[in-house]
Amino acid sequence: MSTVVYPARRFLTMNPNRPSVTHVAVRDGRILGAGSLEELRGWGKFDLDERFADKVILPGFVEGHSHAYEGGVWKFPYVGYFDRVAPDGTRFKGLKNIDEVVARLQAHEKTLAPGASLLAWGFDPIYFGGRCMVLTDVDRISTGRPVVIVHSNFHVANANSVVLAKAGITRTTNVHGIVKDASGEPTGELQEMTAKYMAYRAAGMEIAAVLSDEQAVWRFAKVAQLAGVTTATDLHNELPESTVEGYLKASASDDFPIRLLPAFAAASVPPEQGIPRLQALMKKNNDRLRFQLVKIVTDGSIQGLSARMRWPGYYDGTPNGVWNVGPDDIDRILLSWHSAGFQVHIHTNGDEASEVAIEAVERALMAAPRWDHRHTLQHAQMADAGQFRRMKALGMCANLFANHLFYWGDIHYAKTLGPERAERMDACGTALATGVPFAIHCDAPVTPIGPLFTAWCAVNRLTASGRTLGEAERISVADALRAITLGAAYTLKLDEELGSIDVGKRADFAILDDDPLSVPPEKLKDIGVWGTVLGGKVFEAPKS
Amino acid sequence: MTPFTVIGGFLGAGKTTLLNRLLRADTGRRFAVLVNDFGALDIDSRLVVAHGGDTIALANGCLCCTIGDSLVTTILALLEQPDRFDHIVVEASGVADPGRIADLAVLDQRLARDGVIVVVDAGSVRERSADRRVGDTVTRQLAAADLLLLNKTDLADDLPPLRGWLSTQSPAPVLEARHADVAIDLLFGLPRLGGAAPADAPDAFASWSYEWAEPVERGIVLGMLRTAGVLRAKGIVRFIDSPARRSVIHQVGNRLDIVDDEPWRESETSRLVLLGLKPTLGMLGSLQRE
Ligand SMILES: [Zn+2]
Ligand SMILES: [Zn+2]
Repeated sequence: MSTVVYPARRFLTMNPNRPSVTHVAVRDGRILGAGSLEELRGWGKFDLDERFADKVILPGFVEGHSHAYEGGVWKFPYVGYFDRVAPDGTRFKGLKNIDEVVARLQAHEKTLAPGASLLAWGFDPIYFGGRCMVLTDVDRISTGRPVVIVHSNFHVANANSVVLAKAGITRTTNVHGIVKDASGEPTGELQEMTAKYMAYRAAGMEIAAVLSDEQAVWRFAKVAQLAGVTTATDLHNELPESTVEGYLKASASDDFPIRLLPAFAAASVPPEQGIPRLQALMKKNNDRLRFQLVKIVTDGSIQGLSARMRWPGYYDGTPNGVWNVGPDDIDRILLSWHSAGFQVHIHTNGDEASEVAIEAVERALMAAPRWDHRHTLQHAQMADAGQFRRMKALGMCANLFANHLFYWGDIHYAKTLGPERAERMDACGTALATGVPFAIHCDAPVTPIGPLFTAWCAVNRLTASGRTLGEAERISVADALRAITLGAAYTLKLDEELGSIDVGKRADFAILDDDPLSVPPEKLKDIGVWGTVLGGKVFEAPKS
Repeated sequence: MTPFTVIGGFLGAGKTTLLNRLLRADTGRRFAVLVNDFGALDIDSRLVVAHGGDTIALANGCLCCTIGDSLVTTILALLEQPDRFDHIVVEASGVADPGRIADLAVLDQRLARDGVIVVVDAGSVRERSADRRVGDTVTRQLAAADLLLLNKTDLADDLPPLRGWLSTQSPAPVLEARHADVAIDLLFGLPRLGGAAPADAPDAFASWSYEWAEPVERGIVLGMLRTAGVLRAKGIVRFIDSPARRSVIHQVGNRLDIVDDEPWRESETSRLVLLGLKPTLGMLGSLQRE
């Protein structure tokens, strides 16, 4: 029963009784005390570990909406516009034009076995001033093997002529999702289901396993740890046996650096089957793996033009999006899981989807009254003040997609939502003012995992082009830091166990090089993360 | 190439009832049926020969697979074992656009797009189509249909105005039914060229086959195919304007594909089979004799 006391420049505890302390004592993986060295002496003998003496320590960050798929895609080369840190700490430079993308993949191509397909991800041509990738670009990478480059939104891909030939795609192929140029020739750009089908075909069915095997879970945990995350969700998974086995094996290791919470894909099987299945899985929970969450996906995405929006719909006149689980089906699923006592996370991007979800929760509560259900709208990007008031009244939470403001804010302003709705999207300020418990998230691999960056987005609301998108919805640094710790823990029903530095809670810390409350708010994202502590075990991040 | 059929339609229209009929029908073909939920199917347990996690194999050779979360991976996994089935039928979810799913068959040369059948609830479709949240989903489904199955006609107050309205939503021919009771071959194809009328076809339906020794005028054949009441057609024809190649004809409802195929073999004759409403085909017969 050894005790370690860590002095630091300061601990920001999220405990309003003692918001800032200099020392924390850890015993058996939990926080024994937080205060001055004198106060902690009362607990008896301890070892003093001074390695964090010049660091600023926060509760370990909690990523309430990410996908372990982030670890899966790192098996393949990243070709995005922005720098991105790989699980081993290597920083990949963002690629600023199509030639750079082609050059990186030409080099990668030389490392592949003959006949193997080349898959890449993260491609982001929206910053290339209108220049799209075309067949001749991708064919420069290879005309001997299938090449598929998946875009950062995971809904669009570019393929080479090998892939098109294998599928028999020509100028006469009339299928939604095959982009053609002015002369009617396919450009190799594929969209939505067409893109998914061709990517899986080119890569072979093994890819499904590669994307979610034990190694993928490890890579996900490492990339999260680098960003100071100690608890992360895999927020939508059918939980096939092979995946569950990967989670169990990975989380059994003391070296596994995060606590992982998968969310069961509720619509994938009827609730009568899903509920007992998840209940059985919960018996396998351990300190680093927690089955308890359920997710329902209602609509698509705003930038994918598939979000369900209320009147007046898309700013550029695009027809309304598509339902995954529609208004006529959500009650059946939600009520079953709600009545079985589960907390349900509901993906809603458009405001019509949020409305449908809120009303479904209201009906579920009438049918089966429950306290403290904390059903959470995930994304809720277009929710307006009225919807937040309803969420508050119903005891719901929101997890807002703050990273969207930076990555797609300019497009939302100009094309999808128009100025007013873009300025009030991901309305952290409204959530705070209304009293809706909220978190903010990255939705990795859609955007990189990095809670300090996500907090920076909520605080500054800057788009990639530098526009401040909705001054009134900005929140303070302190509020943003709460959203990535205790706030997120609350939306996962883990707030009594972690999310703040308080006696009895788990010794999960994010170790920072600088003080987020002292640096200028626009520098929040640049603070270095030294590493983390999980249950008292120290994980130093590899330096790139 | 495996025929690929998509069954669409809003929640409650009767897609599952139709699939139950398909699985019970004695067609002599092995259907692989991809469904959203096994539980909704009414499968006699005595007919189940094997039950894996996601697949049920039936005594009549049919397979049922659950789609789970990813239709794409379910189809691709199924295609790894092509000798287990003759025809794939996908049940689209109640809010999906079935036309988009049928597009997958165009992307894979192992598949032949057969048709999009949209099941319509005669009792509720107009109300649903006016709903502010799901109306556009319903009308997209209707527009995507090659063939409409107007089901639950016993529940409609007044059929003629409903028929009129449907024709403004979709050019597809309409079959009317109660409890999705319709001749399976009308929906899922002609087993082979020159086959007789389906044994279970109600009196109103018939098939008609044609043979021509000499090359045929394209216009004449198109005229026959586009006659109202023709629900399905299949053929290999030598057109006067393309005598060197086989032209393969495939029609489901209002969707007609004519594909250039291999070179014409001199030993062959042109053959065409139509399936449809009896009065129409009777008329076509006389037309052909001219
Ligand atoms: Zn989502
Ligand atoms: Zn997500």
